[in-house]
Amino acid sequence: MRITLVATALLAALTACAPPGQSGSTGTQASGPIKIANINAQSGQLSSLGQWENKGVKLAIKEVNAAGGVNGRQIQLDLFDDQGDPTVGTNLARKIAAEGYIAMLGTAESAVTLAMAPILKDAKIPNITSGQSPKLAELKSPFLFLNAPTSVTFDETLAKYLVDEKGYKKIALISNNGAYGSGEHDAFLTSLKTRRVTPVADEVVTPDQKDFNANLAKIREQDPEVLFIGAEEVQSGLIAKQARELGLKAVIAGGAPIGTDVYATTAGLPNAEGSIVSSPYLSNEASDAIKAFAAKYKTEYNEDARMHVAKAYDGAMIMVEALRATGGEGGQKLADAIRAVKRDGLLGAYTYDEFGVGIHETKIGLVKDGKVVPEAAS
Amino acid sequence: MQVLLQTLIGGITFGAVYALVAMGFSIVYRTMGLVNFAHGSVVMIGAYAASTFYMATRLPFAVAMVVAIVVTGLIGLIIERFLRPLENKDFTLMLIGTIGFGAVLEALAILIWGATGHAVPNPVATEPIDLGGVRIPTYSLLVIGVAALATALLALFLQRTKTGAAMQAVAMDHEAATACGIHVGRSNATAFAIGACLAAVAGSLIGPMLYVNPTMGGTLGIKGFAAAMLGGFGSMPGAIVGGMAFGLLDAFAAGNFQEYSELVTFVVFAVVVMIRPMGIFGEATVNRA
Repeated sequence: MRITLVATALLAALTACAPPGQSGSTGTQASGPIKIANINAQSGQLSSLGQWENKGVKLAIKEVNAAGGVNGRQIQLDLFDDQGDPTVGTNLARKIAAEGYIAMLGTAESAVTLAMAPILKDAKIPNITSGQSPKLAELKSPFLFLNAPTSVTFDETLAKYLVDEKGYKKIALISNNGAYGSGEHDAFLTSLKTRRVTPVADEVVTPDQKDFNANLAKIREQDPEVLFIGAEEVQSGLIAKQARELGLKAVIAGGAPIGTDVYATTAGLPNAEGSIVSSPYLSNEASDAIKAFAAKYKTEYNEDARMHVAKAYDGAMIMVEALRATGGEGGQKLADAIRAVKRDGLLGAYTYDEFGVGIHETKIGLVKDGKVVPEAAS
Repeated sequence: MQVLLQTLIGGITFGAVYALVAMGFSIVYRTMGLVNFAHGSVVMIGAYAASTFYMATRLPFAVAMVVAIVVTGLIGLIIERFLRPLENKDFTLMLIGTIGFGAVLEALAILIWGATGHAVPNPVATEPIDLGGVRIPTYSLLVIGVAALATALLALFLQRTKTGAAMQAVAMDHEAATACGIHVGRSNATAFAIGACLAAVAGSLIGPMLYVNPTMGGTLGIKGFAAAMLGGFGSMPGAIVGGMAFGLLDAFAAGNFQEYSELVTFVVFAVVVMIRPMGIFGEATVNRA
């Protein structure tokens, strides 16, 4: 009893003489701007993704700040370039933790987000990422949220369309062994297995590979009806181009990268024609909300909106909604608030599950003249 | 059989480009004993210059290529001019200087063209040639042809012209060459300019095969450098054989070892270099440091 009393007295004394800086820092959390970090590749081969994501986030935060911010506080959004490199990403994760950012938006690369997740979890910084690898969901980090479905959803929808609706049976796979590619590979293979379809070929390449003649020639021998590509935009485009040069007639199918103009121009428009894409965001005309968003985006940046800017915008808006609920507070409270957000976003209805996944369905589209059109309308 | 031949075609096409990159490394090395680490970035600038002129001004591809050669040739001269005060004084600083130039060129490319890069349409948009099921893209033939032409011109220059002979002399013994009245600095500048021109040829050829972006020089530089090492650093025939070997090695590893292809390629490379440290064409390499 006595010891407790002494301890309490000591504790009280200690808190009383806490250094001024310490009490000051807890004080600034309730006023002044809310610091949010946006980490995305601004240079390197994946920089197109990073720049789109950043533009979407910037647009959302600009709107929020113009409308008075979060409970009267402005949001300070700072951009950091991870160069698409996991090592740079982990350094940045430590940096934003040290500099008092309470939330993180990005990155566009699953591999980078995977590397950063443990650090952000320890620092209790909620992160809404644009990555789509199922590995992100498998982490089950309470501080990691996705602004898009994972490959599992993309590929389940795709397999359902290709096998159940179109009746294709001879399907060949080509994917890279990076974080995104292997996620696509595993997810699509699982979806095929549940439909009792065994792929006629299953080629794995490296993310840096440029020459696919050997892999595609092996695939061509099997004469598949469908060629599934699990790779990022540029590599998907190169594979499609070389596949057509080899005379492969198979329908090309894949996830979100197939829906980008980077894919279409890298492949060459005639080679990309008719590619099947599974995506929650097919075009800028899909709904009235999307049309309004696309128009806003066009006036802001003088370029067309796309899925990557839309989901980054959705993610930023979810973060803002959660911040409003916590009154600008971060940490565990903010993570719980994000999990509680129910938002009718541009990509669909967001309801977060225990894996941090908010969107649970995608749609099927076709590439026509380098643009994606919904399957039903074609 | 079809798979084998098709793999061969892919390997040779990329091998031709690696050979051009390797020759650029080698010509600077044999003349100055210097590894130009900016070479990969010069290839990237060449790819940008050619594709930009080809796409924006609708110049014929061949003309765009010539423009790119002139642009990068000038860059080569500028790099050499910057490094010249260090020649014969501090070799390590020269090496670091070339690395620095690589970073500068990459940053310049981001400033001029942005970080995102662009795809380049195929300049010979015809159907691939079908030989009994083996398809040869017409563009691959163009790549191989241009690479062969560049190689032949370079060989002629080195063996038949006075400047070429002077460069050979500097490569063999720069002090004796100076005594004979050969301007070593000018000879070095020529080597750098030729190296950069070769980079432009490689870059403009690879543009339509890949996606042009500021960091594309990294992988190409490493592959070209490794190819030059494999063939025997400083040797011109070595660069060609090394480039081809690397392209083929890459292609067959991709077909047979799937995701481990890169690992296999570089393990084979390491083993060859361990057995023959001077490379396949192991002529006594220049060491001027």
